[in-house]
Amino acid sequence: MAIDIRHVGRCYGPFRSTVCAEQIQAFALAVAGGVPGYFGSAQGEPSPFSTLAAPPTFGVTFAMSPFALACTDPELGLDLLRLLHAEQEFEHGAVVRAGDVLTTVGEIVEVRSRGSLDFLTVRTETVNQGGERVLVARWTAVIRG
Amino acid sequence: MKTLADFRAGDTFELTREADRYRPIYYAAVSGDFNPIHIDREVGRAAGFAGAILQGMCTMAWLADACTAYLGDPARVKRLKVRFARPVVVGDVVTFRGRCVAVEGPVVRLEVDARNQRGEEVLKGASAEGWLEAS
Repeated sequence: MAIDIRHVGRCYGPFRSTVCAEQIQAFALAVAGGVPGYFGSAQGEPSPFSTLAAPPTFGVTFAMSPFALACTDPELGLDLLRLLHAEQEFEHGAVVRAGDVLTTVGEIVEVRSRGSLDFLTVRTETVNQGGERVLVARWTAVIRG
Repeated sequence: MKTLADFRAGDTFELTREADRYRPIYYAAVSGDFNPIHIDREVGRAAGFAGAILQGMCTMAWLADACTAYLGDPARVKRLKVRFARPVVVGDVVTFRGRCVAVEGPVVRLEVDARNQRGEEVLKGASAEGWLEAS
């Protein structure tokens, strides 16, 4: 069943998130050990990378809420057993670092159908405590008919 | 760390990661994506798969790791784009084969092929951009 086009423009948020170093570390490790040397050596040498820059897909931790809420929104009534993540885009602005306070808003920007498949796209935008844009993301779900 | 002059069209890079049985649970814990399709094999089966399926965002995180290792710094990864072509099921091993397709000013353009152990594409159209400062 096609998703009603009247849901385009539906907004979620704002959501606030404070980034801490331990959260970045846990994320990088859970993804499968992260990049060697990301956190410096066991001998105490500092990381060669920009100090605790968040991994490129860390945005899932602070920017996914609008997408998750749209997928489970009773107004849309999507069948979660038929729903899969179909497409994802991240466009990074200012680097996210430990200590940042981030604010995310999201909006349903597109619904479309292709054959028996229905697609839902949520665009999120996240700014940091200085008002700099850190992430624009497009999250697309497919609901299999 | 590598500088802009170190990147050339035609460069290649590779990363292999396994969706071990605990990976979706670890990923749920740090991402907040506890959709039961990822952590309960019965729900995965009810949805028509062989078992629990890995969060697509974890596959994308692996893609980002591959690009980060090539670019040399996570802060250089400015764009990532994927289509999830086929779910990664617990037990799958995914190999990411990346290629630098162009260096345009400070922008390093990457394309990545991602396949499971059966040679099936799990991502389509995976691309990334690294932005480097001129040195």
